Amino acid sequence: MAGNRMQKIGSVFSRTRNLLRIGVIKKPLWFDVYAAFPPLREPVYRVPRPRYGKVRDVVPPIFYQEDQVRARFYRVYGSGPRPFDLSQSNYKSTCQRFVEKYNELKEEGKIEEEKLFEETGKALLASGVILQRRGTDKVIQQDRQDVETRDPVLHLQLQTVLEELQEKKDQEEQTPELAETQKEDPLPS
Amino acid sequence: DKLLSEPLSHPDFFNVKELFSLKDLFDARVHLGHKKGCRHRFMEPYIFGCRLDQDIIDLDQTMQHLQLALNFTAHIAYRKGIILFISRKRQFCHLVESTARECGEYAHTRYWQGGLLTNAHIQFGSGVRLPDLLIFLSSLNNVFEPHVAIRDAAKMNIPTVGVVDTNCNPCLITYPIPGNDDSPTAMELYCKLFRMTIIRAKDKRRQDEVFSELR
Repeated sequence: MAGNRMQKIGSVFSRTRNLLRIGVIKKPLWFDVYAAFPPLREPVYRVPRPRYGKVRDVVPPIFYQEDQVRARFYRVYGSGPRPFDLSQSNYKSTCQRFVEKYNELKEEGKIEEEKLFEETGKALLASGVILQRRGTDKVIQQDRQDVETRDPVLHLQLQTVLEELQEKKDQEEQTPELAETQKEDPLPS
Repeated sequence: DKLLSEPLSHPDFFNVKELFSLKDLFDARVHLGHKKGCRHRFMEPYIFGCRLDQDIIDLDQTMQHLQLALNFTAHIAYRKGIILFISRKRQFCHLVESTARECGEYAHTRYWQGGLLTNAHIQFGSGVRLPDLLIFLSSLNNVFEPHVAIRDAAKMNIPTVGVVDTNCNPCLITYPIPGNDDSPTAMELYCKLFRMTIIRAKDKRRQDEVFSELR
């Protein structure tokens, strides 16, 4: 019962082939199948030595032309208003729609290059997508914090006033609703 | 024997190409690899590119490798070979074991003791039949080192089929399949493909035996 256990010498196939040629082994099940359908690379052991000297990155980075538009979009508007829903394979994020609109306007060619970015923003606003610039958000947050620290009493007063206003609005809404229901009742009869 | 030699003359006797398509691989997120720092040197030919530091595996090469590997497993199953599924990922151990049970083949998803293949006659008793094919659904063990069974199979002259991710060493695996081994969708896809090929091959074998008996 011979066998060759040297996994670092050649591939499994070369070792079994040589043992068969000598005649010390019975033909294994997989031998003919391997001979008929060999793999793309013969499984020979290679020493995993690390690279020395200057390390050349063989794998190319993946970048597209639209990446420049995407980078500018994210720098100006931050991450989009809607979160990404990756459960659908045909999902288009706000950034993707922005990029497509940008490419359409670029192909039409009537707008200058510097104004293309603003024009796509306006076009998206027209189609109903709200884009908030990143700079303005920070300003609003800072203002709010200043207001709260300055006058907590004033803040509470403002809150109560706002609540009263809202109650008044609710009452106003209820009365026209009642009037509408009264009008509707005689109609079906 | 005509029964065994006839399937070898066709390039795709079991028609494994129709079981998967490029879109299926993409939807199952097979092309996603690990980050650039985790990359193994010998996986570089199988990688398409690096998108913001994350490796993307070349799915055209994966298609070729997957077709060869599935074809090989089908032929081994046709010849009534013993197949052993190996995966050391705890997340998918149940999936792998249920796949093996449905195929009628074997699985080993627990701690691999040192001499299971190399010391089989002493561990299991004399007259053990060793597996004829090992299928690795993740070729690393829990400490991110290559699984001991890869080296043991090369020692015992057993061919291997394995899913190699971007941080794995594909040298000693006879039929590597470059692809993602971490996503659940990818693992379910691989299990489904292997299960379908093995069942198809076994059914074909039963049919051919019946036909040859009739003649």
